[in-house]
Amino acid sequence: MSEDSAIFVIKTTANQERSVAGMLAKVAKKENLDIRALLAPDELKGYVLAESSNSGEVEQAIQTVPHARAVVKGQSSMEEIMHFLTPKPTVTGITEGAIIEVTSGPFKGEKARVKRVDEGHEEITVELFDAVVPIPITIRGDTVRILRKEDE
Amino acid sequence: MVESVCMDCHRLVSGQECPVCGTTNLSNDWSGLLVIVDPEKSEIAKKIGVTIPDKYALKVR
Repeated sequence: MSEDSAIFVIKTTANQERSVAGMLAKVAKKENLDIRALLAPDELKGYVLAESSNSGEVEQAIQTVPHARAVVKGQSSMEEIMHFLTPKPTVTGITEGAIIEVTSGPFKGEKARVKRVDEGHEEITVELFDAVVPIPITIRGDTVRILRKEDE
Repeated sequence: MVESVCMDCHRLVSGQECPVCGTTNLSNDWSGLLVIVDPEKSEIAKKIGVTIPDKYALKVR
């Protein structure tokens, strides 16, 4: 009979979340520990989430894994981590007419107005303010910062 | 090694095609890692409908 699952949070070295999750899975399999799943969302830097029945198993698993530092006291519930499993499109919140700043790529630092939002491809088409001729350029939705929502 | 992700089942694949779907529809643009160890007991696996223990990406572009 399987016990109820709980979510335990493991503190890791920054940027090692994926390798820690992979290694923990291997350790859990090898040592037959009751770790059911591991989650390393990109939004959660420096932490890995482990689904297990008790914290003792997780504590035991991290002992031999480099970059896994400690298990955070207490536990979390499934409901609290549900939003990580269904990530929102990166263009959510960007509307046509909004003023954005490009945060990476060749146009980094440039301000622009959003002309079109493509939710499916997670891309937005913008027109740069500083361009002499308004040329629409299409960029990824996660490489921008919203400065002003919609032009009133 | 850079791993790619099957666009259909979100599984991390190291070769040129997905061993489960058999598709070559792979992507290198993915984020969020989910490792399913015990799909029978795991609530997360049930929620996303995974039955095979493997590594999965949360988001694929």
